[in-house]
Amino acid sequence: MTDTFVLSELNAVVLTIQVATGDRVQNGDTLIVLESMKMEIPVAAPRDGAVAAILVREKQMVEEGQKLAILGD
Amino acid sequence: MNWRAELEELRLRERLAHEMGGADKIKRQHDGSRLTVRERIDGLVDPGSFHETGAIAGNATYDQHNELESFTASNCVFGRARIDGRPVVVVGDDFTVRGGSADAAIHEKSLMAERMAAEFRLPIIRIIEGSGGGGSVKTIETKGRANLPGGVGQSMLFHYTTANMAVVPVVALGLGSVAGLGAARLAASHYSVMTKSSAMFVAGPPVVARVGQNLSKQELGGWEIQTRSGAVDHAVDTEEEAFACARRFLSYLPSSVQELPPKLDSDDDPERRDESLMDAIPKDRRKVYKVRPIIEALVDRGSFFEMGAMFGRSIVTGLARLDGRAVAVMASDPYFYGGSWTAAACQKIVRFVDLAETFHLPVVYLMDCPGFLIGLEAERAATIRHGVRAMAAINQTSVPWCTIIIRNCFGVAGAVHQPAGRLALRYAWPSGYWGSLPLEGGIEAAYRAEIEGAADPAAKLGEIEQRLNKLRSPFRTAEAFWVEEIIDPRESRPLICEFARLSDKLVAPGPSAFPMRP
Repeated sequence: MTDTFVLSELNAVVLTIQVATGDRVQNGDTLIVLESMKMEIPVAAPRDGAVAAILVREKQMVEEGQKLAILGD
Repeated sequence: MNWRAELEELRLRERLAHEMGGADKIKRQHDGSRLTVRERIDGLVDPGSFHETGAIAGNATYDQHNELESFTASNCVFGRARIDGRPVVVVGDDFTVRGGSADAAIHEKSLMAERMAAEFRLPIIRIIEGSGGGGSVKTIETKGRANLPGGVGQSMLFHYTTANMAVVPVVALGLGSVAGLGAARLAASHYSVMTKSSAMFVAGPPVVARVGQNLSKQELGGWEIQTRSGAVDHAVDTEEEAFACARRFLSYLPSSVQELPPKLDSDDDPERRDESLMDAIPKDRRKVYKVRPIIEALVDRGSFFEMGAMFGRSIVTGLARLDGRAVAVMASDPYFYGGSWTAAACQKIVRFVDLAETFHLPVVYLMDCPGFLIGLEAERAATIRHGVRAMAAINQTSVPWCTIIIRNCFGVAGAVHQPAGRLALRYAWPSGYWGSLPLEGGIEAAYRAEIEGAADPAAKLGEIEQRLNKLRSPFRTAEAFWVEEIIDPRESRPLICEFARLSDKLVAPGPSAFPMRP
Protein backbone atom coordinates (compact mmCIF):
# COMPACT_ATOMS: atom_id res chain seq x y z
CA MET A 1 0.00 0.00 0.00
CA THR A 2 1.19 3.53 -0.63
CA ASP A 3 1.93 5.95 2.17
CA THR A 4 -1.02 7.81 3.63
CA PHE A 5 -0.75 11.40 4.75
CA VAL A 6 -2.58 12.20 7.97
CA LEU A 7 -3.95 15.73 7.63
CA SER A 8 -5.19 18.26 10.13
CA GLU A 9 -8.90 18.89 9.69
CA LEU A 10 -8.68 22.33 11.32
CA ASN A 11 -6.41 25.17 12.40
CA ALA A 12 -5.05 24.18 15.80
CA VAL A 13 -1.99 23.78 18.05
CA VAL A 14 -0.23 20.42 18.43
CA LEU A 15 -0.78 19.51 22.09
CA THR A 16 0.79 16.05 22.32
CA ILE A 17 2.26 13.49 19.97
CA GLN A 18 1.21 10.02 21.10
CA VAL A 19 3.26 7.84 18.75
CA ALA A 20 6.82 7.65 17.46
CA THR A 21 8.24 6.78 14.06
CA GLY A 22 8.11 3.02 13.57
CA ASP A 23 5.18 2.41 15.92
CA ARG A 24 2.53 0.07 14.60
CA VAL A 25 -0.95 1.51 14.87
CA GLN A 26 -4.47 0.37 14.17
CA ASN A 27 -7.26 2.20 12.41
CA GLY A 28 -8.75 4.64 14.94
CA ASP A 29 -5.74 4.83 17.28
CA THR A 30 -4.91 8.35 18.40
CA LEU A 31 -1.69 9.58 16.77
CA ILE A 32 -1.67 13.21 17.78
CA VAL A 33 -3.81 15.42 20.00
CA LEU A 34 -4.53 18.92 18.74
CA GLU A 35 -5.86 21.80 20.76
CA SER A 36 -8.45 24.24 19.47
CA MET A 37 -10.86 26.46 21.40
CA LYS A 38 -9.43 24.91 24.60
CA MET A 39 -10.57 21.45 23.50
CA GLU A 40 -8.39 18.40 23.00
CA ILE A 41 -9.02 16.98 19.57
CA PRO A 42 -7.57 13.55 18.83
CA VAL A 43 -6.29 12.80 15.33
CA ALA A 44 -6.88 9.15 14.58
CA ALA A 45 -5.04 6.77 12.28
CA PRO A 46 -7.11 6.44 9.10
CA ARG A 47 -5.98 2.81 8.69
CA ASP A 48 -3.75 0.09 10.16
CA GLY A 49 -0.06 0.62 9.48
CA ALA A 50 3.24 1.85 10.81
CA VAL A 51 4.14 5.46 11.54
CA ALA A 52 6.61 6.39 8.79
CA ALA A 53 7.13 9.98 9.91
CA ILE A 54 5.81 12.64 12.25
CA LEU A 55 5.90 16.00 10.48
CA VAL A 56 5.05 18.35 13.35
CA ARG A 57 6.31 19.26 16.83
CA GLU A 58 4.39 19.83 20.05
CA LYS A 59 3.17 23.45 20.51
CA GLN A 60 3.40 24.00 16.75
CA MET A 61 0.50 25.76 15.04
CA VAL A 62 -1.00 23.78 12.20
CA GLU A 63 -3.49 24.74 9.52
CA GLU A 64 -6.45 22.94 8.05
CA GLY A 65 -5.19 20.51 5.44
CA GLN A 66 -1.61 20.49 6.80
CA LYS A 67 0.22 17.14 6.80
CA LEU A 68 0.78 15.93 10.37
CA ALA A 69 2.20 12.44 9.87
CA ILE A 70 2.84 9.76 7.28
CA LEU A 71 1.46 6.27 7.71
CA GLY A 72 3.22 3.43 5.90
CA ASP A 73 2.94 -0.35 6.01
CA MET B 1 -57.30 4.78 -44.09
CA ASN B 2 -55.51 5.20 -40.82
CA TRP B 3 -52.50 6.95 -39.29
CA ARG B 4 -50.20 3.97 -39.22
CA ALA B 5 -47.58 5.56 -41.51
CA GLU B 6 -47.45 8.71 -39.43
CA LEU B 7 -47.14 6.71 -36.22
CA GLU B 8 -44.32 4.72 -37.82
CA GLU B 9 -42.52 7.97 -38.60
CA LEU B 10 -43.07 9.10 -35.02
CA ARG B 11 -41.56 5.82 -33.72
CA LEU B 12 -38.66 6.16 -36.16
CA ARG B 13 -37.93 9.68 -34.94
CA GLU B 14 -38.13 8.51 -31.32
CA ARG B 15 -35.73 5.67 -32.10
CA LEU B 16 -33.30 8.12 -33.67
CA ALA B 17 -33.57 10.31 -30.57
CA HIS B 18 -32.71 7.31 -28.41
CA GLU B 19 -29.49 6.86 -30.38
CA MET B 20 -28.33 10.12 -28.74
CA GLY B 21 -24.92 11.24 -30.04
CA GLY B 22 -24.23 7.89 -31.71
CA ALA B 23 -22.47 4.65 -30.78
CA ASP B 24 -18.97 6.18 -30.64
CA LYS B 25 -19.98 8.93 -28.24
CA ILE B 26 -21.94 6.48 -26.09
CA LYS B 27 -18.90 4.21 -25.93
CA ARG B 28 -16.75 7.17 -24.84
CA GLN B 29 -19.26 7.91 -22.12
CA HIS B 30 -19.23 4.28 -20.91
CA ASP B 31 -15.42 4.05 -21.16
CA GLY B 32 -15.28 6.93 -18.70
CA SER B 33 -17.53 4.93 -16.30
CA ARG B 34 -20.35 7.34 -17.00
CA LEU B 35 -23.89 6.43 -17.92
CA THR B 36 -25.79 8.10 -20.75
CA VAL B 37 -28.54 10.53 -19.80
CA ARG B 38 -31.22 7.94 -20.59
CA GLU B 39 -29.52 5.29 -18.47
CA ARG B 40 -29.25 7.85 -15.69
CA ILE B 41 -32.94 8.66 -15.80
CA ASP B 42 -33.79 4.93 -15.80
CA GLY B 43 -31.48 4.41 -12.80
CA LEU B 44 -32.97 7.31 -10.89
CA VAL B 45 -36.72 6.89 -11.23
CA ASP B 46 -39.20 4.08 -10.58
CA PRO B 47 -38.84 1.43 -13.33
CA GLY B 48 -40.80 2.29 -16.45
CA SER B 49 -42.19 5.52 -14.99
CA PHE B 50 -40.41 8.01 -17.27
CA HIS B 51 -42.71 9.88 -19.65
CA GLU B 52 -40.63 12.09 -21.89
CA THR B 53 -41.61 15.51 -23.21
CA GLY B 54 -40.19 16.68 -26.52
CA ALA B 55 -38.26 13.49 -27.33
CA ILE B 56 -38.16 14.19 -31.05
CA ALA B 57 -36.96 17.79 -30.76
CA GLY B 58 -33.53 18.22 -32.30
CA ASN B 59 -31.70 18.92 -35.51
CA ALA B 60 -32.71 17.08 -38.69
CA THR B 61 -31.38 17.05 -42.21
CA TYR B 62 -33.53 16.28 -45.26
CA ASP B 63 -32.67 14.98 -48.72
CA GLN B 64 -33.65 16.65 -52.01
CA HIS B 65 -37.12 15.09 -51.76
CA ASN B 66 -37.51 16.50 -48.29
CA GLU B 67 -37.33 13.03 -46.75
CA LEU B 68 -35.72 12.76 -43.33
CA GLU B 69 -32.05 11.96 -43.82
CA SER B 70 -30.55 12.22 -40.37
CA PHE B 71 -31.57 13.36 -36.93
CA THR B 72 -29.68 14.39 -33.81
CA ALA B 73 -31.72 14.88 -30.67
CA SER B 74 -31.43 17.94 -28.53
CA ASN B 75 -29.05 17.33 -25.67
CA CYS B 76 -31.66 18.23 -23.09
CA VAL B 77 -33.84 15.27 -22.10
CA PHE B 78 -36.76 15.86 -19.76
CA GLY B 79 -40.10 14.59 -18.64
CA ARG B 80 -42.14 13.35 -15.72
CA ALA B 81 -41.46 10.21 -13.75
CA ARG B 82 -42.09 8.76 -10.30
CA ILE B 83 -39.77 8.28 -7.36
CA ASP B 84 -41.13 6.00 -4.62
CA GLY B 85 -44.44 6.35 -6.40
CA ARG B 86 -44.49 10.15 -6.17
CA PRO B 87 -44.41 12.22 -9.37
CA VAL B 88 -41.32 14.30 -10.16
CA VAL B 89 -39.80 16.17 -13.07
CA VAL B 90 -36.40 15.02 -14.26
CA VAL B 91 -34.19 16.96 -16.66
CA GLY B 92 -30.80 15.79 -17.88
CA ASP B 93 -27.98 16.88 -20.15
CA ASP B 94 -26.94 14.50 -22.91
CA PHE B 95 -23.16 14.79 -22.98
CA THR B 96 -22.95 12.58 -26.07
CA VAL B 97 -24.43 15.47 -28.09
CA ARG B 98 -22.06 18.42 -28.32
CA GLY B 99 -20.82 17.92 -24.77
CA GLY B 100 -24.11 19.10 -23.30
CA SER B 101 -23.56 22.67 -24.48
CA ALA B 102 -26.04 25.25 -25.74
CA ASP B 103 -25.42 24.89 -29.45
CA ALA B 104 -27.20 21.53 -29.36
CA ALA B 105 -29.71 22.36 -26.66
CA ILE B 106 -33.12 23.71 -27.33
CA HIS B 107 -33.37 26.45 -24.77
CA GLU B 108 -37.09 26.02 -24.23
CA LYS B 109 -36.71 22.38 -23.15
CA SER B 110 -34.84 22.97 -19.91
CA LEU B 111 -37.02 26.03 -19.36
CA MET B 112 -40.20 23.96 -19.73
CA ALA B 113 -38.84 21.33 -17.32
CA GLU B 114 -38.34 24.00 -14.65
CA ARG B 115 -41.70 25.56 -15.42
CA MET B 116 -43.43 22.17 -15.24
CA ALA B 117 -41.91 21.59 -11.79
CA ALA B 118 -43.04 25.01 -10.59
CA GLU B 119 -46.54 25.00 -12.02
CA PHE B 120 -47.40 21.34 -11.40
CA ARG B 121 -45.75 21.50 -7.95
CA LEU B 122 -43.35 18.63 -8.55
CA PRO B 123 -39.81 18.13 -7.24
CA ILE B 124 -37.19 18.56 -9.96
CA ILE B 125 -34.02 16.55 -10.32
CA ARG B 126 -31.39 18.12 -12.56
CA ILE B 127 -28.87 15.65 -13.98
CA ILE B 128 -26.01 17.86 -15.05
CA GLU B 129 -23.02 17.16 -17.24
CA GLY B 130 -21.09 19.68 -19.31
CA SER B 131 -22.11 23.29 -19.35
CA GLY B 132 -25.71 22.40 -18.56
CA GLY B 133 -27.06 23.98 -21.73
CA GLY B 134 -24.81 26.98 -21.32
CA GLY B 135 -22.85 28.40 -24.22
CA SER B 136 -19.64 27.34 -25.88
CA VAL B 137 -17.44 29.71 -27.84
CA LYS B 138 -18.48 27.85 -30.99
CA THR B 139 -21.95 29.34 -30.62
CA ILE B 140 -20.54 32.63 -31.87
CA GLU B 141 -19.76 31.02 -35.23
CA THR B 142 -22.89 28.92 -35.52
CA LYS B 143 -25.15 31.86 -34.65
CA GLY B 144 -22.98 34.53 -36.23
CA ARG B 145 -23.16 36.80 -33.21
CA ALA B 146 -22.19 36.91 -29.57
CA ASN B 147 -24.72 35.94 -26.95
CA LEU B 148 -25.70 38.48 -24.32
CA PRO B 149 -25.98 36.45 -21.09
CA GLY B 150 -29.43 37.04 -19.66
CA GLY B 151 -30.34 39.06 -22.74
CA VAL B 152 -33.75 39.41 -24.38
CA GLY B 153 -35.75 36.18 -24.17
CA GLN B 154 -33.29 34.48 -21.85
CA SER B 155 -34.25 35.55 -18.40
CA MET B 156 -36.84 32.90 -17.56
CA LEU B 157 -34.41 29.99 -17.19
CA PHE B 158 -32.34 32.08 -14.80
CA HIS B 159 -35.54 32.98 -12.99
CA TYR B 160 -36.52 29.35 -12.40
CA THR B 161 -32.95 28.26 -11.62
CA THR B 162 -33.23 30.03 -8.28
CA ALA B 163 -36.96 30.75 -7.90
CA ASN B 164 -37.89 27.06 -7.91
CA MET B 165 -36.01 26.70 -4.62
CA ALA B 166 -38.87 28.53 -2.90
CA VAL B 167 -41.50 26.30 -4.53
CA VAL B 168 -40.39 22.68 -4.95
CA PRO B 169 -37.50 20.45 -3.84
CA VAL B 170 -34.58 20.91 -6.22
CA VAL B 171 -31.98 18.15 -6.35
CA ALA B 172 -28.93 18.44 -8.60
CA LEU B 173 -26.54 15.68 -9.61
CA GLY B 174 -23.16 16.60 -11.13
CA LEU B 175 -22.02 13.60 -13.15
CA GLY B 176 -18.92 14.31 -15.22
CA SER B 177 -17.35 17.68 -15.87
CA VAL B 178 -19.70 20.50 -14.95
CA ALA B 179 -18.98 24.13 -15.80
CA GLY B 180 -20.57 27.52 -16.31
CA LEU B 181 -24.37 27.45 -16.34
CA GLY B 182 -24.17 23.75 -15.43
CA ALA B 183 -22.25 24.67 -12.28
CA ALA B 184 -24.83 27.33 -11.47
CA ARG B 185 -27.71 24.87 -11.89
CA LEU B 186 -25.86 22.39 -9.68
CA ALA B 187 -25.20 24.87 -6.91
CA ALA B 188 -28.70 26.41 -7.03
CA SER B 189 -30.28 23.42 -5.35
CA HIS B 190 -31.44 22.19 -1.96
CA TYR B 191 -29.21 19.16 -2.20
CA SER B 192 -26.39 18.43 -4.63
CA VAL B 193 -24.35 15.31 -5.18
CA MET B 194 -21.34 14.67 -7.40
CA THR B 195 -19.42 11.50 -8.15
CA LYS B 196 -15.81 11.43 -7.00
CA SER B 197 -14.60 11.18 -10.60
CA SER B 198 -16.55 14.32 -11.53
CA ALA B 199 -15.41 17.90 -11.37
CA MET B 200 -17.29 21.17 -11.08
CA PHE B 201 -16.00 24.66 -11.75
CA VAL B 202 -17.06 28.05 -13.01
CA ALA B 203 -14.52 27.64 -15.81
CA GLY B 204 -12.43 24.58 -16.63
CA PRO B 205 -8.65 24.06 -16.82
CA PRO B 206 -8.04 25.56 -20.30
CA VAL B 207 -9.73 28.82 -19.30
CA VAL B 208 -8.08 28.86 -15.88
CA ALA B 209 -4.69 28.29 -17.53
CA ARG B 210 -5.14 31.68 -19.18
CA VAL B 211 -5.15 33.31 -15.74
CA GLY B 212 -1.96 31.48 -14.87
CA GLN B 213 -3.17 28.42 -12.98
CA ASN B 214 -2.21 25.09 -14.50
CA LEU B 215 -4.46 22.59 -12.76
CA SER B 216 -6.13 19.32 -13.65
CA LYS B 217 -9.91 19.07 -13.52
CA GLN B 218 -9.67 17.28 -10.17
CA GLU B 219 -7.22 19.80 -8.73
CA LEU B 220 -9.46 22.64 -9.78
CA GLY B 221 -12.92 21.34 -8.98
CA GLY B 222 -12.76 17.76 -7.73
CA TRP B 223 -15.03 16.49 -4.99
CA GLU B 224 -12.67 17.34 -2.14
CA ILE B 225 -12.50 20.96 -3.27
CA GLN B 226 -16.23 21.32 -3.87
CA THR B 227 -17.58 19.48 -0.82
CA ARG B 228 -15.17 21.32 1.50
CA SER B 229 -16.06 24.66 -0.07
CA GLY B 230 -19.75 23.94 0.45
CA ALA B 231 -20.55 24.38 -3.26
CA VAL B 232 -21.65 20.72 -3.46
CA ASP B 233 -23.23 18.84 -0.56
CA HIS B 234 -22.08 15.29 -1.04
CA ALA B 235 -19.74 13.08 -3.08
CA VAL B 236 -20.20 9.40 -3.89
CA ASP B 237 -18.24 6.72 -5.74
CA THR B 238 -20.86 5.69 -8.28
CA GLU B 239 -23.72 7.25 -10.20
CA GLU B 240 -26.08 4.63 -8.70
CA GLU B 241 -25.21 5.97 -5.23
CA ALA B 242 -25.97 9.49 -6.41
CA PHE B 243 -29.43 8.33 -7.56
CA ALA B 244 -30.00 6.64 -4.18
CA CYS B 245 -29.04 9.87 -2.39
CA ALA B 246 -31.50 11.88 -4.49
CA ARG B 247 -34.31 9.42 -3.81
CA ARG B 248 -33.59 9.36 -0.10
CA PHE B 249 -33.40 13.15 0.21
CA LEU B 250 -36.79 13.50 -1.49
CA SER B 251 -38.36 10.90 0.82
CA TYR B 252 -38.26 13.42 3.71
CA LEU B 253 -39.78 16.31 1.78
CA PRO B 254 -43.21 17.28 0.51
CA SER B 255 -43.58 17.49 -3.29
CA SER B 256 -43.87 21.25 -3.00
CA VAL B 257 -44.24 23.99 -0.40
CA GLN B 258 -48.00 23.56 -0.85
CA GLU B 259 -47.89 20.20 0.93
CA LEU B 260 -46.56 18.86 4.22
CA PRO B 261 -43.75 16.30 4.49
CA PRO B 262 -44.99 12.69 4.20
CA LYS B 263 -45.43 10.87 7.51
CA LEU B 264 -44.39 7.22 7.67
CA ASP B 265 -45.18 4.45 10.12
CA SER B 266 -42.21 3.95 12.43
CA ASP B 267 -41.32 0.63 14.01
CA ASP B 268 -38.93 2.30 16.44
CA ASP B 269 -40.50 2.83 19.88
CA PRO B 270 -40.84 6.59 20.52
CA GLU B 271 -40.39 5.83 24.24
CA ARG B 272 -37.07 4.04 23.65
CA ARG B 273 -34.40 5.14 26.14
CA ASP B 274 -30.88 4.61 24.93
CA GLU B 275 -28.48 3.76 27.76
CA SER B 276 -25.46 4.97 25.76
CA LEU B 277 -26.65 8.53 26.33
CA MET B 278 -25.77 8.25 30.04
CA ASP B 279 -22.05 8.53 29.35
CA ALA B 280 -22.11 10.15 25.93
CA ILE B 281 -20.64 13.43 27.19
CA PRO B 282 -17.22 13.22 28.89
CA LYS B 283 -16.99 14.78 32.34
CA ASP B 284 -13.66 16.36 31.38
CA ARG B 285 -14.74 19.48 29.50
CA ARG B 286 -11.60 19.48 27.38
CA LYS B 287 -12.49 16.09 25.92
CA VAL B 288 -14.47 15.73 22.74
CA TYR B 289 -17.07 13.09 21.85
CA LYS B 290 -18.65 11.84 18.65
CA VAL B 291 -22.01 13.48 18.07
CA ARG B 292 -23.29 11.29 15.23
CA PRO B 293 -23.87 8.24 17.48
CA ILE B 294 -25.87 10.55 19.79
CA ILE B 295 -28.06 11.64 16.86
CA GLU B 296 -28.49 8.00 15.80
CA ALA B 297 -29.52 7.04 19.35
CA LEU B 298 -32.20 9.73 19.42
CA VAL B 299 -33.90 9.59 16.02
CA ASP B 300 -35.90 6.72 14.51
CA ARG B 301 -33.40 3.94 13.94
CA GLY B 302 -31.52 4.31 10.65
CA SER B 303 -33.37 7.48 9.67
CA PHE B 304 -30.55 10.05 9.91
CA PHE B 305 -29.56 11.42 6.49
CA GLU B 306 -26.63 13.80 6.78
CA MET B 307 -26.15 16.64 4.30
CA GLY B 308 -23.05 18.74 3.72
CA ALA B 309 -20.79 16.69 6.01
CA MET B 310 -17.56 18.18 4.65
CA PHE B 311 -18.45 21.86 4.97
CA GLY B 312 -18.84 24.07 8.05
CA ARG B 313 -18.03 20.96 10.01
CA SER B 314 -18.54 22.27 13.53
CA ILE B 315 -22.25 21.88 12.76
CA VAL B 316 -23.74 18.59 11.58
CA THR B 317 -26.96 18.97 9.57
CA GLY B 318 -29.34 16.37 8.22
CA LEU B 319 -32.86 15.09 7.89
CA ALA B 320 -34.27 12.39 10.14
CA ARG B 321 -37.51 10.95 11.44
CA LEU B 322 -39.04 11.09 14.90
CA ASP B 323 -42.00 8.77 15.45
CA GLY B 324 -42.26 8.66 11.65
CA ARG B 325 -42.26 12.43 11.16
CA ALA B 326 -39.59 14.14 9.07
CA VAL B 327 -37.51 16.67 11.00
CA ALA B 328 -34.41 18.79 10.38
CA VAL B 329 -31.59 17.99 12.81
CA MET B 330 -28.68 20.29 13.65
CA ALA B 331 -25.98 19.22 16.07
CA SER B 332 -22.64 20.64 17.17
CA ASP B 333 -19.52 18.60 16.44
CA PRO B 334 -16.84 19.29 19.07
CA TYR B 335 -14.15 17.70 16.87
CA PHE B 336 -14.20 20.94 14.85
CA TYR B 337 -13.20 23.99 16.87
CA GLY B 338 -14.98 22.55 19.88
CA GLY B 339 -18.31 23.03 18.11
CA SER B 340 -17.87 26.78 17.82
CA TRP B 341 -19.55 28.60 14.96
CA THR B 342 -17.18 29.40 12.13
CA ALA B 343 -18.14 31.65 9.21
CA ALA B 344 -18.66 28.49 7.13
CA ALA B 345 -20.78 26.85 9.82
CA CYS B 346 -22.96 29.96 9.92
CA GLN B 347 -23.48 29.81 6.14
CA LYS B 348 -24.40 26.16 6.49
CA ILE B 349 -26.91 26.96 9.23
CA VAL B 350 -28.59 29.68 7.14
CA ARG B 351 -29.10 27.35 4.20
CA PHE B 352 -30.25 24.50 6.41
CA VAL B 353 -32.83 26.37 8.48
CA ASP B 354 -34.10 27.98 5.26
CA LEU B 355 -34.64 24.44 3.90
CA ALA B 356 -36.52 23.49 7.08
CA GLU B 357 -38.66 26.63 6.90
CA THR B 358 -39.39 26.21 3.18
CA PHE B 359 -40.60 22.61 3.51
CA HIS B 360 -42.26 22.81 6.94
CA LEU B 361 -39.79 20.62 8.81
CA PRO B 362 -39.64 21.02 12.61
CA VAL B 363 -36.08 21.63 13.81
CA VAL B 364 -34.25 19.71 16.54
CA TYR B 365 -30.94 21.25 17.63
CA LEU B 366 -28.49 19.31 19.79
CA MET B 367 -26.36 22.12 21.03
CA ASP B 368 -22.78 22.25 22.32
CA CYS B 369 -21.54 25.66 21.26
CA PRO B 370 -18.73 27.45 23.08
CA GLY B 371 -19.45 30.55 20.99
CA PHE B 372 -18.18 31.88 17.71
CA LEU B 373 -14.71 30.85 16.60
CA ILE B 374 -12.29 33.45 17.94
CA GLY B 375 -8.92 34.73 16.73
CA LEU B 376 -7.51 36.67 13.80
CA GLU B 377 -8.57 34.24 11.08
CA ALA B 378 -12.12 34.25 12.42
CA GLU B 379 -12.18 38.07 12.35
CA ARG B 380 -10.82 38.07 8.79
CA ALA B 381 -13.61 35.67 7.77
CA ALA B 382 -16.30 38.10 9.05
CA THR B 383 -17.50 35.42 11.44
CA ILE B 384 -19.65 37.87 13.35
CA ARG B 385 -21.56 39.05 10.26
CA HIS B 386 -22.13 35.50 9.07
CA GLY B 387 -23.10 34.80 12.68
CA VAL B 388 -25.78 37.45 12.89
CA ARG B 389 -27.03 36.32 9.50
CA ALA B 390 -27.49 32.83 10.97
CA MET B 391 -29.19 34.47 13.95
CA ALA B 392 -31.56 36.30 11.60
CA ALA B 393 -32.29 33.11 9.65
CA ILE B 394 -33.17 31.23 12.87
CA ASN B 395 -35.21 34.14 14.22
CA GLN B 396 -37.15 34.36 10.95
CA THR B 397 -38.24 30.72 11.06
CA SER B 398 -41.80 29.86 11.98
CA VAL B 399 -41.42 26.07 12.07
CA PRO B 400 -41.55 24.40 15.51
CA TRP B 401 -38.19 24.31 17.22
CA CYS B 402 -36.73 22.16 20.00
CA THR B 403 -33.25 22.52 21.46
CA ILE B 404 -31.38 20.20 23.77
CA ILE B 405 -28.33 21.81 25.35
CA ILE B 406 -25.99 18.88 25.68
CA ARG B 407 -22.94 20.80 26.87
CA ASN B 408 -21.67 24.31 26.15
CA CYS B 409 -23.77 27.38 25.57
CA PHE B 410 -21.68 30.56 25.52
CA GLY B 411 -21.87 34.03 24.08
CA VAL B 412 -23.94 35.36 21.22
CA ALA B 413 -23.64 32.15 19.18
CA GLY B 414 -24.88 30.34 22.28
CA ALA B 415 -27.85 32.67 22.53
CA VAL B 416 -28.90 31.68 19.01
CA HIS B 417 -29.95 28.23 20.12
CA GLN B 418 -33.62 28.87 19.45
CA PRO B 419 -35.62 31.48 17.56
CA ALA B 420 -35.87 34.67 19.59
CA GLY B 421 -39.30 36.09 20.33
CA ARG B 422 -41.38 32.91 20.29
CA LEU B 423 -41.65 29.82 22.44
CA ALA B 424 -39.53 26.84 21.53
CA LEU B 425 -39.07 23.72 23.62
CA ARG B 426 -35.74 23.59 25.43
CA TYR B 427 -34.09 20.92 27.54
CA ALA B 428 -30.63 20.75 29.06
CA TRP B 429 -28.64 17.68 29.98
CA PRO B 430 -26.87 17.69 33.37
CA SER B 431 -23.66 18.19 31.37
CA GLY B 432 -24.95 21.66 30.43
CA TYR B 433 -22.32 24.36 30.97
CA TRP B 434 -23.00 27.97 30.12
CA GLY B 435 -22.26 31.60 30.62
CA SER B 436 -22.02 34.93 28.87
CA LEU B 437 -18.39 34.18 28.23
CA PRO B 438 -15.98 31.43 29.27
CA LEU B 439 -14.12 31.76 32.57
CA GLU B 440 -10.79 31.27 30.86
CA GLY B 441 -9.71 34.75 29.79
CA GLY B 442 -13.01 36.13 31.04
CA ILE B 443 -11.77 36.28 34.64
CA GLU B 444 -8.61 38.16 33.68
CA ALA B 445 -10.79 40.77 31.96
CA ALA B 446 -13.45 41.14 34.65
CA TYR B 447 -11.27 40.91 37.77
CA ARG B 448 -8.14 42.69 36.50
CA ALA B 449 -7.72 45.09 39.42
CA GLU B 450 -8.23 42.36 42.03
CA ILE B 451 -5.72 40.04 40.33
CA GLU B 452 -3.09 42.71 39.68
CA GLY B 453 -3.41 43.98 43.26
CA ALA B 454 -2.82 40.54 44.78
CA ALA B 455 0.53 39.48 46.20
CA ASP B 456 0.36 36.30 44.13
CA PRO B 457 -1.71 37.09 40.99
CA ALA B 458 -1.67 33.47 39.74
CA ALA B 459 -3.00 32.16 43.05
CA LYS B 460 -5.63 34.90 43.07
CA LEU B 461 -6.74 33.92 39.56
CA GLY B 462 -7.07 30.28 40.65
CA GLU B 463 -9.01 31.29 43.73
CA ILE B 464 -11.49 33.38 41.73
CA GLU B 465 -11.87 30.62 39.17
CA GLN B 466 -12.68 28.09 41.92
CA ARG B 467 -15.16 30.50 43.48
CA LEU B 468 -16.99 31.10 40.21
CA ASN B 469 -16.98 27.45 39.17
CA LYS B 470 -18.90 26.59 42.34
CA LEU B 471 -21.72 28.79 41.08
CA ARG B 472 -21.69 27.07 37.71
CA SER B 473 -24.03 24.17 38.48
CA PRO B 474 -26.88 24.07 35.96
CA PHE B 475 -29.23 23.41 38.87
CA ARG B 476 -28.62 26.93 40.18
CA THR B 477 -29.70 28.26 36.79
CA ALA B 478 -32.79 26.03 36.84
CA GLU B 479 -33.57 27.16 40.40
CA ALA B 480 -33.92 30.72 39.03
CA PHE B 481 -35.94 29.34 36.05
CA TRP B 482 -33.36 30.73 33.62
CA VAL B 483 -33.49 27.31 32.05
CA GLU B 484 -36.81 25.50 32.20
CA GLU B 485 -35.84 21.84 32.32
CA ILE B 486 -32.84 19.68 33.04
CA ILE B 487 -33.45 16.12 31.91
CA ASP B 488 -32.00 12.65 32.08
CA PRO B 489 -30.35 12.30 28.63
CA ARG B 490 -32.23 8.99 28.22
CA GLU B 491 -35.51 10.92 28.32
CA SER B 492 -34.48 12.86 25.22
CA ARG B 493 -35.98 10.60 22.57
CA PRO B 494 -39.42 10.36 24.19
CA LEU B 495 -39.42 14.14 24.57
CA ILE B 496 -38.33 15.00 21.02
CA CYS B 497 -40.80 12.43 19.64
CA GLU B 498 -43.50 14.21 21.65
CA PHE B 499 -42.23 17.48 20.13
CA ALA B 500 -42.54 16.00 16.62
CA ARG B 501 -46.13 14.91 17.35
CA LEU B 502 -47.02 18.33 18.79
CA SER B 503 -45.59 19.88 15.64
CA ASP B 504 -48.23 18.11 13.52
CA LYS B 505 -50.69 20.81 14.51
CA LEU B 506 -48.28 23.70 14.02
CA VAL B 507 -47.00 23.30 10.50
CA ALA B 508 -49.10 24.52 7.61
CA PRO B 509 -48.50 24.30 3.88
CA GLY B 510 -47.74 27.40 1.84
CA PRO B 511 -44.79 29.47 0.72
CA SER B 512 -42.51 30.78 3.45
CA ALA B 513 -42.34 34.50 4.17
CA PHE B 514 -38.78 34.65 2.81
CA PRO B 515 -38.15 32.81 -0.47
CA MET B 516 -35.11 30.60 -0.01
CA ARG B 517 -31.87 31.55 -1.74
CA PRO B 518 -29.21 29.02 -2.80
